[in-house]
Amino acid sequence: MRNFLAFIRRFRVLFFFALLQGFALSIYLTFVHFPRSQYLTTASVVSGAIFEVRNDLTKHFNLSENNTNLQKENIALMESLPSSFIKLNNGLVKINDILFHQQYEYIPATVINSTHDKRNNYFTLNIGSKQGVERGMGVFSSKGVVGVIHNSSDHYSVVKSCLTESINIDVMIEKTGQFGLLKWNGKDARRGTMSGVSNDTEIKKWAKVVTRGGGNIFPRGIPVGKIEKTGVIEGKPLWDITLKFSENYTSLQRAYVIKNILRTEQEDLESLTPNDPAL
Amino acid sequence: MNFFIKHGIRFVFILAIQVLALNQIELGLGIQLMVYPLFILLLPVELGVFPLLTLAFILGAAIDSFSNTYGLHTSALLTFAYVRPIIFKAFAPRDGYDPLLETTIFAMGFKWFLKIFGLLIVIHHFWFFLMEMFKMNELLFVFQKVSLSAPISFLVCIFLQYLFVNKSSEK
Repeated sequence: MRNFLAFIRRFRVLFFFALLQGFALSIYLTFVHFPRSQYLTTASVVSGAIFEVRNDLTKHFNLSENNTNLQKENIALMESLPSSFIKLNNGLVKINDILFHQQYEYIPATVINSTHDKRNNYFTLNIGSKQGVERGMGVFSSKGVVGVIHNSSDHYSVVKSCLTESINIDVMIEKTGQFGLLKWNGKDARRGTMSGVSNDTEIKKWAKVVTRGGGNIFPRGIPVGKIEKTGVIEGKPLWDITLKFSENYTSLQRAYVIKNILRTEQEDLESLTPNDPAL
Repeated sequence: MNFFIKHGIRFVFILAIQVLALNQIELGLGIQLMVYPLFILLLPVELGVFPLLTLAFILGAAIDSFSNTYGLHTSALLTFAYVRPIIFKAFAPRDGYDPLLETTIFAMGFKWFLKIFGLLIVIHHFWFFLMEMFKMNELLFVFQKVSLSAPISFLVCIFLQYLFVNKSSEK
């Protein structure tokens, strides 16, 4: 026993260091994959409030660019209003029928903190669970897909952006319908990769890539980017596809959070599928 | 009391610079500026390892909570604080450290500072990027990030001392 105590005393610094180090690393490794609390993130009240003040000061730097984008979006929306169409067929009357139900609702948000140079980049939004944000909701901007809500507090939320290692959004090539998963290799904030496309078909350069609409996070057809380069993966029948993102994540300020009204319905239905006993 | 006020101000100041300014500067090529090890370096030489590690843990956790890195900065800073006494002992001057002097670049000279702080900051950056990647097959990318970021962080640290440390009172 005395030897044991002497041993502890001899290496007490190392033990203390290992204890703290183990604590820090275990937080890092678990929180990247399974977020449980918001204390050490920018979703907490203190850091969220500080970043909101900073955003108030710096948001004007990209003001003209953001205004142009909003204007473009407004034009696109106005063009789709009934008033901008000429009535060709006077016989039809629109009634509130049961053919169309609203499935997606959008919540506007401002990005108050973001990085694009780390291995895993997270964006902070100024809305939280009080506004109806929940973990797992999709986020997109007027130009393209942004990410998935990772964690939310009452008034702030953290988005796991497309610039993270395991983002894995279901995407497809718009024209041909081949689908794969969106990934990011951590090097260039303007380019991502698409994996899982088999190489028995040709792929056109600059073909548009959009979200596939599976996984009940994103609706189908939100732009992701364009195919910039295709290559061959050694020993696998798959294409190595490099995408150029349509959104510039380095100057992103406005985003929309997608609320899927039918999400629980789909999840309930899918949970009824019996599990494969072989697994 | 003077000690607590001085290092308390330094703590808040370095935290603010790191979180509000340097975290937003993104130069590309994986360069990341980290100056907060300067706070741990400038703590008194005779300070024990336990308060040193505790302070490193608090500062690291504060920086993590502002940059969505979940304990990554804490881990790197703990390594820095753990290695600091070892390196200090290995490179000690012939008659030991003067307890009245702070380990700034003015008091210890550029050569000492380059040797000690340069080594420490490379260790810190290497640990940080290694843990961030957590993959051995991206080791080359880790080396690229360390070799680009560490010199720039080092220069910013020197710059901060020239701006904010009172040169005449240190001598």
